[in-house]
Amino acid sequence: MKSLTDVVSGAGLSGYAEIALVIFLIAFIGIVISLFAPSKRQTYERMRHLPIDAESADLPPYRDTDDPSLRRG
Amino acid sequence: MTLPEPTSTRPEHARYEPPPVTQPKAGGPGPLLDSFSYDDDIVRKFLIATFVWGLVGMLVGLVVALQLANPAFNIGPWFSFGRLRPLHTNAVIFAFAGNAFFTGAYYSTQRLLKARMFSDRLSRFHFWGWQAIIVAAAITLPLGFTQAKEYAELEWPIDIAIAVVWVAFAVNFFGTIARRRERHLYVAIWFYIASIITVAILHIFNNLSIPAGAFKSYSIYAGVQDAFMQWWYGHNAVAFFLTTPFLGLMYYFLPKAAERPVFSYKLSILHFWTIVFMYIWAGPHHLHYTALPEWASTLGMLFSVMLWMPSWGGMVNGLLTLRGAWHKVVEEPVLKFFVVAVTAYGMATFEGPMLSIKSVNGLAHYTDWIIAHVHTGALGWNGFLTFGMIYWLLPRLFQTQLYSKKLAEMHFWVASFGILLYVVAIYSAGVTQGLMWRAFDETGRLAYPDFVETVMKLMPMYWMRAVGGSLYLVGMVLFGYNILMTWRRRPATYDEPVIQAPRLAPEYVATADHGAPVPASSAWGRFVAMDWHRAWERLPVTFSVLTAVAVIVASLFEILPTFLIRSNVPTIASVKPYTPLELAGRDVYIAEGCFNCHSQMIRPFRHETERYGEYSKPGEFVYDHPFLWGSRRIGPDLAREGGKYPNLWHVRHMEDPRAITQKSIMPAYPSLMNTPLDFAGIQRRVDVMAMLGVPYGDAVNRAPQMAHAQADSIARAIEGEGGPKGLQDKQIVALVAYLQRLGRDVKAPQVARSTP
Repeated sequence: MKSLTDVVSGAGLSGYAEIALVIFLIAFIGIVISLFAPSKRQTYERMRHLPIDAESADLPPYRDTDDPSLRRG
Repeated sequence: MTLPEPTSTRPEHARYEPPPVTQPKAGGPGPLLDSFSYDDDIVRKFLIATFVWGLVGMLVGLVVALQLANPAFNIGPWFSFGRLRPLHTNAVIFAFAGNAFFTGAYYSTQRLLKARMFSDRLSRFHFWGWQAIIVAAAITLPLGFTQAKEYAELEWPIDIAIAVVWVAFAVNFFGTIARRRERHLYVAIWFYIASIITVAILHIFNNLSIPAGAFKSYSIYAGVQDAFMQWWYGHNAVAFFLTTPFLGLMYYFLPKAAERPVFSYKLSILHFWTIVFMYIWAGPHHLHYTALPEWASTLGMLFSVMLWMPSWGGMVNGLLTLRGAWHKVVEEPVLKFFVVAVTAYGMATFEGPMLSIKSVNGLAHYTDWIIAHVHTGALGWNGFLTFGMIYWLLPRLFQTQLYSKKLAEMHFWVASFGILLYVVAIYSAGVTQGLMWRAFDETGRLAYPDFVETVMKLMPMYWMRAVGGSLYLVGMVLFGYNILMTWRRRPATYDEPVIQAPRLAPEYVATADHGAPVPASSAWGRFVAMDWHRAWERLPVTFSVLTAVAVIVASLFEILPTFLIRSNVPTIASVKPYTPLELAGRDVYIAEGCFNCHSQMIRPFRHETERYGEYSKPGEFVYDHPFLWGSRRIGPDLAREGGKYPNLWHVRHMEDPRAITQKSIMPAYPSLMNTPLDFAGIQRRVDVMAMLGVPYGDAVNRAPQMAHAQADSIARAIEGEGGPKGLQDKQIVALVAYLQRLGRDVKAPQVARSTP
């Protein structure tokens, strides 16, 4: 009985590497084209500000702990 | 805190107005606001762990640097270079950088997703589980329990624990995504997702092994295949543990500290996808000119060179985020750390592709050049990004002012100078030794035939490295003092602000605020309008699966041919399995970490074949579970060591290397002369090897007897050569048996049998 290695070795799969490369290239080019298409400027603008937006609501104010009575340590 | 006001005059950077938060109207319809708070306690825990383990890992780094400068720093079997070096690498990668990633990820994820972590219990399980794993590593590595795979040394019980803790982290992370109140996932989250998924895949596949004891296992892969799998893991551990998580941190914390949005969000998306598509292919550049198939080596080189562009895209994006804010760099140590971190990322990601070019690699491989390259990235990129992030976090997490900005400034300058000293010294050492190895004199013979000559030349540089490392460590002490004093000034109770944010609608509804386009009428229009990509962002499960597919498919196309096409690893008829005693000796070699300094892979260069003998063939390693090719030659290659010296030479050399070679920097191993060999345990090890397909024949039933017979024979020979008596049941005999076997199977001319 032939092993998986025998089957794959004899299957002549070398051309599949090129096919994989072409598929990857197409996917990548697709991302690039769509990314730089002149649309979504506003969406990206909003996304850019997400980290800074979030901070406006949640940053605990610094407290002046120079007074030792306010400290824990 | 108010929103920053971008100063750029470019139209696309025109002042951004965030969508107004709609408050619920009394008695009227409106979005339902959730109230919640962030779990910053877990962030504080990871922050402290980052510092503690960083200090430990770097201290061990200094010790191993000193051991190379002077072997007197090797103390006992537990603290010799071979056992401590993996402890250093594991501590700084998984303990320091790992905890730093978790610190930043737990802080930023909650805020970017407007949600508390999915489960506080899982967060704590992740924290304590990870620290327990680090402690287990710190105990087992000095004891000699290792799989002999770089950055994957930890033995199987700890590997299982890592998988469990990592899954807990992933469940917590993806659970938080599922509960998020922000529709879109910021690019930092993408980088975290890619890291979590890919590290899990890498960890599982590289650590597949069969246990042969409580802390002993054998890799299921052998030789070339094991090497391929290991460096697919090893390179991508750098990519997805030290690069993508920190890029996520950069895309969050750099804009925060600069109070500027990231320069180009589009570029960040491009950066992400190109990194995910390309990084996973680059691993074979660690194996140039070895017994790896040529096509795999070339493939790895090409993808590595291509990686330069996206990496620099990310660097440029980081640095340009500071446009209009460079004046702050002068005053803010946080930004100083970030600028050097991003610059170091740029330098390391230029040098990496350069080193992957075969002709450059031919000089650099096995030398300190690689160590210098790694430390540019580790000290500069990972270290400084972590320091900057933590200095930024300290006032926010401990809710008080940073204890001393001046001390932080001093930390920056001391550590920067330390990096400079370190890398200048070690780059010089690498190039020097590489050139000495390949130098021929006018008669056509090796100019430096004695390996130790090439080591002696490095000593001034090794001392300079130790000074540079010490300065970096001094910086860590200043860092720790600043953390401690800031912590001591924390308030009696931490404020825990209640955040309000509207829930997400179950179904995505595009609004003008989200910049949704007018639906395109054609398929091409919809494609170009990125609707498909926005759908990915809204569906993190799909997005995660697609990221995993990109990684897995690339891995399979690269790795599987070597496993399944015979012509990639031609077998050699004369190569036989190790005898039971040699196998036990190989395990002693592994436990002592000899592979950290000695390669077993002779490249097909004239200067290597002149020095070491016939170049290594793929078929020589078919029974090597795991492979032991090594990645650095602090000592000479041992692939053809068998028969080069008498048995007694090896005994004396292991007992005291300087008695044989006066200038040797190898640690002494006198304990091997006294430590009994576990003959009874050999049977189990042979059985596991047989399970893995090694044709052991009779040894499956009588391994201890066969080992005893060979040990007696070698002990008698040592005694006959004038050596000590009574070594027949000691570890040294097994090690000598193994060393004397190396390369012997192919010393006679052989014809390789290859099945096309």
